[in-house]
Amino acid sequence: MKVSYKWLGEYVDLTGVSPEELARRMTLAGVEVEEIRPLASGTGLLIGEVLSSEPHPDSDHLHVLQVDEGKERGVRQIVCGAPNARAGIKVIVATEGAVLPEATIRRSKIRGVQSEGMCCSLLELGMNRKYLSESQCAGIEELPPDAPVGEEPLSYLGLDDVVLELSLLANRSDMNAMVQVAQEAATLLGRELRLPKAPLVEGKDPSVLPSSLTPRCSRFALAECRGVKIHPSPRWLRLRLIASGIRPINNIVDIGNYAMLLTGQPFNMYDLDKLPEGRLEARDDIEGEWEAMDGKKYLLQKGDISIASKGRTMCLGGVMTSMECAVDGSTRNILVESALFDGPSVRRTSLRLGLASESSQRFAKGVAPLQEESLAFALALVKELADPDSVSGIALYGGERPERRRIKTSLPFINRRLGTALGEEEVLLALRSEGFRAEKDGEGILVEVPLRRIDVLGEADVSEEVIRLLGYERVPSRLPALPPEGGLTPRQERKRALRRMLRHKGLSEALTYSLLPKEEEDSYPYLLPGESLRVRNPLTEERLSYRKSLLPSLLETLLWNQARQSGDLALFEIGEVFSKGKGGERLAIALMGERRSRSLMEGAPYGFFDLKGVLEDILQFLGIKESRVRFEPLRSERQEFHPGRSAVALVGKETLAVLGELHPSELKKRGLRSGSLMEIDLSLLLSLPGEGSKARVPSRFPGTRRDLALLVREEVPFREVRETAQRASRLIKDVLPFDEYRGEGIPAGKKSLAIALFLQDEGKTLGEEKIQGAVLKARKALEEKLGAEVRE
Amino acid sequence: MEDLIQEARRLREEAEKELHEVLSLPSLQEWRNRHLSKKAPLSALMARLREAPPEERGSLGAGLNEARKALEGLFGEKERALREEALTKKLESERVDVTLPGRRDGIGAINPFRLIEDEIVQIFAGMGYRVEEGHDVETERYNFELLNMPEGHPARDMQDTFYLEGEGLLRTQTSASQAHVLEENEEKGPLAIISPGKCYRRDDDDMTHSHQFGQVEGLLVGEGVSMADLKGTLALFARKMFGEKREIRLRSSYFPFTEPSVEVDVSCARCEGKGCSMCKGTGWIEILGAGEVHPDVLRKGGYDPERYQGFAFGVGIERVAMLRYGIDDIRRFYQDDARFLAGFREED
Repeated sequence: MKVSYKWLGEYVDLTGVSPEELARRMTLAGVEVEEIRPLASGTGLLIGEVLSSEPHPDSDHLHVLQVDEGKERGVRQIVCGAPNARAGIKVIVATEGAVLPEATIRRSKIRGVQSEGMCCSLLELGMNRKYLSESQCAGIEELPPDAPVGEEPLSYLGLDDVVLELSLLANRSDMNAMVQVAQEAATLLGRELRLPKAPLVEGKDPSVLPSSLTPRCSRFALAECRGVKIHPSPRWLRLRLIASGIRPINNIVDIGNYAMLLTGQPFNMYDLDKLPEGRLEARDDIEGEWEAMDGKKYLLQKGDISIASKGRTMCLGGVMTSMECAVDGSTRNILVESALFDGPSVRRTSLRLGLASESSQRFAKGVAPLQEESLAFALALVKELADPDSVSGIALYGGERPERRRIKTSLPFINRRLGTALGEEEVLLALRSEGFRAEKDGEGILVEVPLRRIDVLGEADVSEEVIRLLGYERVPSRLPALPPEGGLTPRQERKRALRRMLRHKGLSEALTYSLLPKEEEDSYPYLLPGESLRVRNPLTEERLSYRKSLLPSLLETLLWNQARQSGDLALFEIGEVFSKGKGGERLAIALMGERRSRSLMEGAPYGFFDLKGVLEDILQFLGIKESRVRFEPLRSERQEFHPGRSAVALVGKETLAVLGELHPSELKKRGLRSGSLMEIDLSLLLSLPGEGSKARVPSRFPGTRRDLALLVREEVPFREVRETAQRASRLIKDVLPFDEYRGEGIPAGKKSLAIALFLQDEGKTLGEEKIQGAVLKARKALEEKLGAEVRE
Repeated sequence: MEDLIQEARRLREEAEKELHEVLSLPSLQEWRNRHLSKKAPLSALMARLREAPPEERGSLGAGLNEARKALEGLFGEKERALREEALTKKLESERVDVTLPGRRDGIGAINPFRLIEDEIVQIFAGMGYRVEEGHDVETERYNFELLNMPEGHPARDMQDTFYLEGEGLLRTQTSASQAHVLEENEEKGPLAIISPGKCYRRDDDDMTHSHQFGQVEGLLVGEGVSMADLKGTLALFARKMFGEKREIRLRSSYFPFTEPSVEVDVSCARCEGKGCSMCKGTGWIEILGAGEVHPDVLRKGGYDPERYQGFAFGVGIERVAMLRYGIDDIRRFYQDDARFLAGFREED
């Protein structure tokens, strides 16, 4: 909503209140003024009369004008290029030093001829092109012959106005009316409100009567004006429309718009003689093609509101008139409609057809049930501005309207909600000044809500109204007492600590989008297979499916950074995943390039064991026994992970994580040079019980280490070697590998594995005999169970 | 037997002289073999002691011993000096360039979204709020209905909300958590929760808009929890988040689930409220939306609004981060450019 400061000043005394101050007060009360700008601007302007115009000696289009600038300045010479510059017209002169929106005027020589100013168009004074005619845009502005030479032209033209652009809250659709803006301003400034009045005039019914066949049109008022004279509107009305952002057309169209700006009620004007029959009815069952006033054709469907005559749509209710009965220059008799349409229906129709108007926007936001009162304003304007032969009375369908809502509240309620100590008198006064009836009612307060305030429904709304008008600075500031048992839960603390631990390990915490393109929705489905959850109304195909894995998004991140010379990267992200019917939380890790432990001096390519190390550290950090997690090769047909360098980590039968280096064909497909990824089921991870700290008493007796060099089949995993050796004797407490080798000197299909056995007897010092015995048992078990050869 | 003593003195002087030439431990060893071993001339003199008359043996022996002791002492000194010199040399050869980089994994950076989210949560958790982690995928019931946005409400438009196949939608605000905790709290008693999370709206991505963004929702319900409690709480939050000198002001606004509803502005930190380009000349910067929980929302959650009141607020995570760190483009949060991330670390 654009509000003319001058127009508003007609209804509320704004003396001493600058537009900026008004804007500040309104904004704090919830009527945000988004922008304040002059309708037109310029300093150093005056009205001049062109006394003579000679062609410029050195140009085929410039004129040399002698301009009378009034008594003080006399006659000055101005060089001007406008095609309409000629002797006898009155013009706007920007004198030397004048500051225009996009220029500062200086005295200069133009092709050798002295020029002491500039003749201006309104465009040059910052007016929007859409309000100007073609000739006004092409040349300089021509003022009326009686314009006073030497005076300031903007105030003479009524262009010395300021426009306040309101950004209205969704519940304050009532502010789409000047009468409400004025009401609000008067209340906030504590000044008197002087609104225009248009009494309801009795008269005979119009020849066309309104009716409605649909609840989507609950009130429908019509009046008829015969013998109207169509011509341009007077200047004051045109200026108010322009300041409000509406282009003047002719008096009839302008009256509809002006009355709408004033009352908030949209009107529709019909050319009475173009109606196929003497009846107009609101319906919502008309389908098929329809031609709007803008000359475009639209396809109507059931649910769209039509104002129909003889079954044909004369107006798309609340949206736009049809071509068929639009008012034009030859119109003599008009029908003025003022109706109440269902907001959501108008909004749906308008959105579906991509056809929006000032009217549809108002209905969508909500219009007050004041159709006949508003229509009276429009009719008064027709009488004043279109010289009609006759104006009918108002015929109304759906006369009943809701009574003014009554809300019972109390001062203690209001103060308790606001935390204030307001007095009864100021509360009552504030409400009354805003047009509410507010009376003491026993212990309480009875409030009657004006019909325009469709947003005020209950006690809570009244409390808001009070504090909004009195100002939020009246609310004191205090700290509440909180219920006991707050803070983070142990699980939340663990998650937070885990994130910090990962960062301290050198991984950076990333954040990516949750929606994936279609071609990515089934990538990396290892932890959450199943059908993707897609958006029904995506904005772009790029953001279609909610992710089932965080890995595709992290791959995007790797690619982004690779392209920006950040080739060595270690990232992690925590986020949700969903498929149809299932969801969970994930921790994903992405590594690229090399682990740069000493800048460029030392580096080793990131790979499988870096990922596995992170997972092992996580388990240790959370106190989860490593023995609970089993690593097995990832067996997958998908060419995403390197088949020999990828794994799943299992807890019982559940998959805790999938990890691996990327498959060369995956790297190629994505344009990556390297990459290793891991995704952990964080929900599962955090549900695993962790062991707390405990004191272990170190044995008083020394333990010992014995090494074995084994030759085993390639496919025997170290885990089996360890378990076999450990089970062979209770004295063997731990088995660790210290070398693995394949190649020269080792038969094909075999690998050499060097292991260390750690032996310990808690009860006594181990004797050599016992040690030998235990090692021998381990050897035998390895030989028999795993076919290992022990190399001497 | 005077010559014995003289001979010893000569040998000692000769040995001392030679010792000056000794520069390494091996040659010191040779020197020792030459002058102090059993085969050394000084030892031979000792053997000759037996030839001396018994009454002179004592003093002669003492004289020879003294020469030997002196040489041994010199040997010890020389050996220490040489060892020290050798060690010094060795250490010198092991010297490193201390300006070369150390061996480290480094400390990872943190996306400023997570940084601010953690900080907001920490501030409120510290005051005693519980943390309620909601979910990205929600239903119309929790995202709209229970929050006073019935069917047909403009906020439920297909225009703004990502609807999913089937029943669900991507939540458009973390207030959905509010609806959950109210409904799920069986005691229907006091509540203090903070709920951070991702939200989604059908906005085209540009410098200031993002189809995905973060919010932290706060909710306090109790007997007589009023706008004054909200004001005090958010003033404290603003000071903790933006600095001790910050003030807040409440501006009337509208949300379907709060009444009264306010926007909360914080005094501009750059110009101290005088007006600058950052605050568009107003001296104030909008940071969040808040209000008293609408009685209907409490009622729908099974609470008795006659007995309980509460306030709720929602903070935009990126917005706070952008203000705090002067980040110009919301898309940066989701690009994870390593050079951008490197600027952020957890401070505590």
